[in-house]
Amino acid sequence: MPILTIKIPGKDRHLTFIAGRSVRDILDETDIRVRAGCNGEGACGMCRIRIAGGDAGEPTVNETISLDVGALSQGVRLACQVKTDCDLQIEIINPAPTSSWRRMEEGWVEDFSQGGPPVADADLSHPLGVAIDLGTTHISITMLDLLTGRRLAGRRGLNPQSCSGTDVLTRLMSTESEGRAAKLSSQVVQAIGEGLHDIGSREGIDLRRVSHVVLVGNTAMLTLLSGHNYNLLLQPSYWSRTIDCLPRETAPWIGAWRINPEAAVDVVPPLAGFVGSDLLSGVVSTRLIERGRGALLLDFGTNSEVALWDGDTLWVTSAAGGPAFEGCGMSCGMPADSGAIFRVHELSEEVGISFEVVGGADPHGLCGTGMVDLLACLIKSGTLNKKGQFAQSVPAFGFPLQLEGRTIVLSKKDVDTFQRAKAAIGVAVKVLLAKAGMGYNELKRICIGGIFGQYLDITNAMEIGLLPSIPGIVETSGNTALAGCEAVLISSERKEQLQEVMRRAVIINLSDCADFESLFLEHLYLMPISGNKGHD
Amino acid sequence: MNSQAFDRLIKALLDGDQSVAVAEAVDLRNAGVDNEQIIIGGIETAMGKLEAKCTVEQFNLLEIMLAGRAVTGVIKALYPDGPPPATRETVALASLEGDVHDLGKNIVKTVLLAKGYRVVDCGKDCPLETLIDKAEREGARTICISGLITSIMPLVRQVLPMLQIRGLTGIKVLAGGAALKQASANSLNVHYVADSVFDCVRYLEESTGQAPVQSQ
Ligand code: B12
Ligand code: FES
Repeated sequence: MPILTIKIPGKDRHLTFIAGRSVRDILDETDIRVRAGCNGEGACGMCRIRIAGGDAGEPTVNETISLDVGALSQGVRLACQVKTDCDLQIEIINPAPTSSWRRMEEGWVEDFSQGGPPVADADLSHPLGVAIDLGTTHISITMLDLLTGRRLAGRRGLNPQSCSGTDVLTRLMSTESEGRAAKLSSQVVQAIGEGLHDIGSREGIDLRRVSHVVLVGNTAMLTLLSGHNYNLLLQPSYWSRTIDCLPRETAPWIGAWRINPEAAVDVVPPLAGFVGSDLLSGVVSTRLIERGRGALLLDFGTNSEVALWDGDTLWVTSAAGGPAFEGCGMSCGMPADSGAIFRVHELSEEVGISFEVVGGADPHGLCGTGMVDLLACLIKSGTLNKKGQFAQSVPAFGFPLQLEGRTIVLSKKDVDTFQRAKAAIGVAVKVLLAKAGMGYNELKRICIGGIFGQYLDITNAMEIGLLPSIPGIVETSGNTALAGCEAVLISSERKEQLQEVMRRAVIINLSDCADFESLFLEHLYLMPISGNKGHD
Repeated sequence: MNSQAFDRLIKALLDGDQSVAVAEAVDLRNAGVDNEQIIIGGIETAMGKLEAKCTVEQFNLLEIMLAGRAVTGVIKALYPDGPPPATRETVALASLEGDVHDLGKNIVKTVLLAKGYRVVDCGKDCPLETLIDKAEREGARTICISGLITSIMPLVRQVLPMLQIRGLTGIKVLAGGAALKQASANSLNVHYVADSVFDCVRYLEESTGQAPVQSQ
């Protein structure tokens, strides 16, 4: 059998493989995986490797689309596209993150703690609860003391299903191959188990104390977890309809998680095809429908969800703007992981660029919020205009950013990708306001969920029209979905509120909107949305 | 003198400045230039430049949409009583059932209309039967499908077999749009996958071998 050598400084690895398999498939079975965002279709361009020796064959069409000539000439290729039957030596350029579970350092939305001393751990009868937010990209888990409401630990990890597609549709479609659906489900169950194990072992908590688990998520993730009706989600007629995606039995999960065998596992049902229970619980945690007319909740993601409370009805929609806010789909982008520039403070010829990097690591690219700052800086300096056109002085390939030791390039196409994502959100907000018969000036609160909100520079976001320009009303609320899930876990009153939220919600399908095109065009501009302008 | 006016029209079209473009076109007509010349010398030339910019990715979606609006505006101003007589074949255009994205489709429509094609717009989320019925009824020689979501692929593969069952073997099928343009014609079971609108126009011109019919 041929041998694949992976060049790792100091300790090369040698793997034998069956001729004709793709390099990505070979690596996927090891612990040295390459990052991937599609089902190995050569579409995401993430699985970059460099050929250091051996015959990798001619690049496929998809490789020539994703990789520029310069990269190709240096031997850069996509692992999922390279199939060979002879020995090959490679370097992994874009490795998958190794340790997937991280502590959550984010600020908590709400503290349920009623004080009191921590109860001795040995007491197995002292019950604990677990709240889980199952996201497309991340899984977040917290553990709470059910008697005192105290939060004991939190973890955030990657959803391992991402390798079958970063966007929900690609992932749902991957279930069409034999046995895949079961695999996707067990991947998540297992990942949650690992997260819990990490908490148990590192915080010294006996998992058998866990007697109640509540889980929220977007509809697609819930169907893939339960293994029911994921195929319905590929039919648009179901996107605004209720979909049954509750698990038939949870005993196997309980077994895999090693929690109390008697534990109750509640999956909070979604509202409809593309309005998940993550959004609903976000509405609960931000108390969106409790404080009068004019509260807006924005959850930025590949599929951003938007909810508006007008004092009577909760108008809800989802806008698939693409993964730009998560730093994907752009040549200079990356997720908000270690090495991502999440803030750009200044950009000028004299000072150069001053920025902050996640984890204080060497900068590798920009995540969504870094992108917002960069665009705002470029517009301020006149290097970019509101149409997304660079000034004459910028080279044709794009705007080069000189970082320590490397240059990354913001191309016009990157800006375009961001503009589209922004426009989709802009339309969603405007359409919901119109449904509620409200103007921007009637907004009293704008709550932003997710870590995107945590890192976001609000002024810059307003400068480029990502948020309406109404200073003083923006709240960055952290992981609102998880916080709502905790609230439901701890308090029966909040659990009832969740029912109320469901009763008050009306789903709006943006594709039914007749003037979508002109609204979209309007919001493609990188310019402030005037807060005072009422709706026309 | 006219050539400067044409340059101004072309610039306004490329800048996506609809009001200036319309004003320039109206001026040209008032100066005695006929509509057809304005289309050929102004709109078609602008499109040629647009194509060059699009292929090197120097044009973003906003610019394309604005240019599209300017072109539509000029055509409306020149032909207030309805679209100009088509000089080329009929093309049926749709986003298939399950795909509600129609921005791309509308851009294709604008370009084809400006190039003199007769376009039967079957809309978005369009069932296969409806598309094929219309294509047959309207005598379309080509069906163009715009696809923005990958889940639409299986349906795209069914278009040709359906045409065959209905005995409509003369109709060519062409696919485009962000979700389809990466696939091969073979895997989508279509005659051609166009990389861009302009690639589509090139294919139409070559496959039918049809030079524009001279209109009177
Ligand atoms: C606007 C938008 C919407 C709008 C659509 C409104 C409308 N009237 O069109 C709304 C909000 C309704 C929407 C809904 C959904 N969307 Co959407 N949407 C987008 C968005 C932001 C822009 C798409 C667009 O219009 N592009 C502009 C066109 C003009 O670009 P283009 O296709 O490249 O077209 C060019 C060429 O390809 C060519 N061309 C286009 N068509 C054709 C055809 C032919 C024949 C030829 C020759 C050429 C050609 O001409 C164009 C000009 O150069 C993209 C994300 C993004 N950043 O692109 C997501 C995106 C397309 N949507 C996506 C999804 C998943 C959805 C939803 C399923 C999600 C949901 N939660 O409900 C829904 C339902 C969609 C459905 N039933 O079809 C995904 C698709 C993922 C995938 N792998 O398939 C995307 C990519 C976002 C993402 N990454 O998640 N969406
Ligand atoms: S391009 Fe290789 S996994 Fe997506």
